[in-house]
Amino acid sequence: MNRLNVLLIESDPTCGFMENALIAEGFKCLKSHYDPSFLALIKQITPDMLIFNLQSPSKKLLADLQTQQKLSAIPVIMFATDDNSDTIHQVIKAEVCVYIVNGLDVKRLNSIVSVAIARFKHNQALKQELDEAVAKLEDRKLIDRAKAILIKTQNFTEDEAYHTLRKLAMDRHISLGEMAKNVLVMSELFK
Amino acid sequence: MKTFIKVTEIWVPNKQRTQLEFSSGLYGGLVEFKAASEQQQFAYNEGLPGKAWAEGRPLVLKEFAQSYFKRTAAAKKAGLTCGIAIPVFSGDFLLAVVVFLCADDEHHAGAIEVWSNQDSSKQSLKVIDGYYGSLHYFEQISRDISVAKDQGLAGLAWAQGLPVLIDDISKADAFIRAHDAKQAGITMGISIPVSDHLNSSYVMTFLSAKATPLAKRIQIWVPDSQGEQLICLEGYSKNPNELAQLFEATTVTKGVGALGRVWLTGMPVITGDDDADYNPELASLNTMLAIPVIEQGRLKAIVSFLF
Repeated sequence: MNRLNVLLIESDPTCGFMENALIAEGFKCLKSHYDPSFLALIKQITPDMLIFNLQSPSKKLLADLQTQQKLSAIPVIMFATDDNSDTIHQVIKAEVCVYIVNGLDVKRLNSIVSVAIARFKHNQALKQELDEAVAKLEDRKLIDRAKAILIKTQNFTEDEAYHTLRKLAMDRHISLGEMAKNVLVMSELFK
Repeated sequence: MKTFIKVTEIWVPNKQRTQLEFSSGLYGGLVEFKAASEQQQFAYNEGLPGKAWAEGRPLVLKEFAQSYFKRTAAAKKAGLTCGIAIPVFSGDFLLAVVVFLCADDEHHAGAIEVWSNQDSSKQSLKVIDGYYGSLHYFEQISRDISVAKDQGLAGLAWAQGLPVLIDDISKADAFIRAHDAKQAGITMGISIPVSDHLNSSYVMTFLSAKATPLAKRIQIWVPDSQGEQLICLEGYSKNPNELAQLFEATTVTKGVGALGRVWLTGMPVITGDDDADYNPELASLNTMLAIPVIEQGRLKAIVSFLF
């Protein structure tokens, strides 16, 4: 039995079709419409998933979604009738996992949710890998700059600079990148 | 790590050299006080910096209310209760005024003193001004004694014309108040000759406790025997700092880098990023104040406070 908390945002408040289907599938569902308090509502109820059922997502809604994904990413499914390629491009940018045009079929709801969650997890893993790679690259740049400073100010060879940096980092139980930052800050003070 | 000093400022004469204007400052999170300060100007004998200029000596102001202090409301809001102004002179002419502002904090043990040889013989130093926070007994002892040249922390600095740092004051034979300092929780002290202006000598002493040090690290730089390079005579912090020691092993050329500029111009400097987040694990040194010690127009030393 699904016990995921779903926040359902529909443009037609009288339509109970999707809400009923979700409840029937065992989801905990809160239905609302999109308004300026959208982000505050998410913050308040912390849903596990967002599902939209609307004609076309507005620019404001997509901007809010991007903000939300930066703050705290959650899986998003969007049912709409707008198949404009620009809209689709913007929807992908807002990190919507599944965008379905004219395809609201309650029998497929469970599998769509499963796909959305799987894609979300996959995307998050990729994002984390990317973040780690970027951080490593940044660290590498910092370490190279710190080494250059030590070579210049202490007349060290590159090897000596690296080993000094590593020893300082180990003594303080911090990463090489953090130690490199300290060297840069210290050299800035005397610049 | 909490440090004893909350705000550090440098005030310099304007183009006409008739007013002091804001040059740079370290304010920590005290953004409103910073905004109130940056727009200020002080005439000769006006406000704390202007008064230090006019009197030609360091001043300690322990009470802002109903005093000549100009930023009383902003200081009160920021919790600042005490101010110290140190004028930097070259001969008769003022180069800058360094201002320290502290907050009353019952958990800190520290004192800032101004010593001078204002007795008739001019042969001994006495405390003429001081901030002791809650150390009332230590204040009483300190105000009652006088020291000759070469005696005590202040007397040593006076005799040598150089800053003197004692890292464990309670064990130092040279520090004649060692026993009382230990009882007051004071662990380290630095003494800086600040001016020999108007026929009197002035020496500042900064005494602090381990828990609330004066700064995260203090360094004393002096010109080498040929007067060609600055070398670090001493570096002190509560915990060993090998990174700082690496930089202290280097020499400084006149005009090159922050300390080289202090040597070239005789002007104190503040460097670093005051807004950087402090990471206690890294014990990072984000900012520095470097004050020149000038005697008869020549640089004798630079004292750098790293925060």
